[in-house]
Amino acid sequence: MKKLWQVISLNFRLEFRERRSYFSILIYVLSTVYLANLVFMQSLSIESWNAFFWVIFLFAAVQAAFRSFSYEADQRFLLYYGMIAPEKLILGKIIYNFIYLSLLALITVLVFGFFMGFPIASPLAFITVLILASLGFSAILTLVAAIAAKAGNNPALPAILSIPLLYPQILTLSKLSLRGLSGFSWEVNSSLLIVLALLALVSLLLSYLLFPYLWRD
Amino acid sequence: MKGIWWKVLGIILVAYSIIMGLLGEVPRLDILNETIRVLYYHVPMWFSMIAMMLLSVIFSILTLGNYSFNRDLWAYEFARTGFLLSSLGLLTGMFWAQFTWGSFWTNDPKLNGTAVTMLIYLAYFVLRGSVEDPQKKARLAGVYNIFAFVMMIVFIGILPRLTDSLHPGNGGNPGFNQYDLNSDMRPIFYAAVVGWILIGLWISQLRSRFIKLSHEE
Repeated sequence: MKKLWQVISLNFRLEFRERRSYFSILIYVLSTVYLANLVFMQSLSIESWNAFFWVIFLFAAVQAAFRSFSYEADQRFLLYYGMIAPEKLILGKIIYNFIYLSLLALITVLVFGFFMGFPIASPLAFITVLILASLGFSAILTLVAAIAAKAGNNPALPAILSIPLLYPQILTLSKLSLRGLSGFSWEVNSSLLIVLALLALVSLLLSYLLFPYLWRD
Repeated sequence: MKGIWWKVLGIILVAYSIIMGLLGEVPRLDILNETIRVLYYHVPMWFSMIAMMLLSVIFSILTLGNYSFNRDLWAYEFARTGFLLSSLGLLTGMFWAQFTWGSFWTNDPKLNGTAVTMLIYLAYFVLRGSVEDPQKKARLAGVYNIFAFVMMIVFIGILPRLTDSLHPGNGGNPGFNQYDLNSDMRPIFYAAVVGWILIGLWISQLRSRFIKLSHEE
């Protein structure tokens, strides 16, 4: 437990030392949202709001999470290897990315809403979907970031590898969030929410089980 | 698998399904009419694709447990054959859809599932292409393959059951379930499924032998 906490806090400290990575993600969100604004030039229907929001958040999340292994693929792995069990390392990274992506989701909503308006009928449902999305995304993206970091520096690799794996979640959560935008009934949608949570759980379990095979050389 | 009998059996079964598929009796149904014969040419592709992907993921798990060049090669070749079969399934399906639904592509859950499956395995091939070291390649690709297989099953096996589909047999449209594969069609259909699985095995075996020979040189 202590080790786990150390991994999480270590990640925050390391990333904070390189603050420009946070800023670059922020600017990425700003510029893509503004691009959507420029292209549309008018208020969006809730369907387009939903679609644009998730595409922008997805790409920002891929960018953000990919950093989690990018500058420690080889040298620092060796250091970790003697200090910590791989299961704890991946759990710590996933928790770190979960916090990071949840904050990123919040910021994306605020920035996106500032330009495009907030057509959110039931905020509580929308936030639930956002949190479940961050959880599932972080589980998949952290493992894929490790694969991509190990595979060398092919800049397209993280997006190519992670986006198809995220489709099941995206499909479910965009449906849910659209209902969150237009008015949400917890009874009707509870089954979809459970599906989304289960998807996140399955991804989490797979990452946890498969990561130990990845990092030993 | 040793010997020639299963290859001959595969050829006989596929030839039988092709000839009898064109000559045999089929029920007359609205909308579907003669196009019901696509059942013999389209659906077996998916069955055999799943079989190939399953074999591929089994070899990936074996590779992660204990690396050998052969196991990794089999995992790769089965995935390649599965991809070939899924392309054939997509083409036959698109052709059929043009005459039955009036468009080559619809946003049907099963079609989405296919597209996602193909994208996932394309990403798998890209990943294999971008790593040089064979052991590292086997490990990274193995991890991704297991993840990919689970997500594929979720996408084509679980999510479509939660939504309506245009496909015969789902969501209350005229489908194969209505007459439940009448007795004239059933033997031909099963012959096609088994035959195509055997042909898939054969293709994978030929390919992996070819790779092994060119590797030893």
